[in-house]
Amino acid sequence: MNRRLGMAFALLAGAFSGGAAIAEGDPVSVTGEVIDTWCYFSGVMGGPEAVVGSAHHTCAMWCAAGGIPVGVLADDGTVYMVMKWQGDPAIADGTAMLDAQSHRITAKGTLYVRDGINYLMVAEIAADDGIVNRSHEDFGVVPPFAIPEL
Amino acid sequence: MTATLRIAAILAALALPAQAEEDFSAGSTASSWGLTGERLARFDARVVDAVCALTGDCPADCGAGLRQMVLIREADGVMVLAMKNTQPIFTGATVDLARWCGQTVTVDGLLVGEPEQTQGGRLMQVQTVTAPGAEAAKTDQWLDEWRAANPDAGTGDWFRHDPRIRERIARDGYLGLGLETDAAFISENQ
Repeated sequence: MNRRLGMAFALLAGAFSGGAAIAEGDPVSVTGEVIDTWCYFSGVMGGPEAVVGSAHHTCAMWCAAGGIPVGVLADDGTVYMVMKWQGDPAIADGTAMLDAQSHRITAKGTLYVRDGINYLMVAEIAADDGIVNRSHEDFGVVPPFAIPEL
Repeated sequence: MTATLRIAAILAALALPAQAEEDFSAGSTASSWGLTGERLARFDARVVDAVCALTGDCPADCGAGLRQMVLIREADGVMVLAMKNTQPIFTGATVDLARWCGQTVTVDGLLVGEPEQTQGGRLMQVQTVTAPGAEAAKTDQWLDEWRAANPDAGTGDWFRHDPRIRERIARDGYLGLGLETDAAFISENQ
């Protein structure tokens, strides 16, 4: 396919995709923690350091199951919004990612950056170290009602 | 410059404006939630799923609530990720937005996030969707769909009754570190 035909194809695909410009993603490997992005960015439950790790584990499962985008918080502070999980885009019921909530993982996949947001299509989980951020030791449980016994 | 290249240049230019510099509060009747970087926002946008917008893989139903959803803003072409619906119960916006797949609607809600944290991007809590000629519809359908899918799960808070979550808490504890860690933590903090 020559360049002009390629561009025409991209523009045609853009028409179907709501006018968004289709672009090639970049292969990427991201190491970081699987997080609940709504609580992290909105501040609805406090500062970002309190809504990661074990302190926020149950709430992170609630939000993933409720369809809120899951993210990967990389070691440099960059957040990647997960749009596919192990190649599957049908993830917004959260089921496929529940067992990874709050875990430190290495995800390999494709990155698209659009209007300031990092969109990550995870192809495979190359490593899963489980929950290593024991944030409950500093913050307790967030929100407190996540544990009914307290 | 050919017509094809001219169109490509226009599309590229449309993608440039930073979301953080725009003010879309005019006409908004959204309720404040007191969130980080919160701004009222009401704008016309085409509703599409994110994977479609980014890759061109576009099912006709936008994934029927199973794909994350974005809003392609009419005014500037900026793609806004829809994070949250209007229900204060840990619920996203996919179920509420998928029904408008491919349509241009008016959304009203809150743009949130500190631009420094999101590289200038903003994320949206969508409170209402208004189709042309229709009344504004609240984005509050998620719970009804969950109850329909979980008829035996009880009538209390969904998140305490979701069988997937109950199974994992029973296995790994509320902290995710095992039942012994949970027991010690609860004992120390009761």
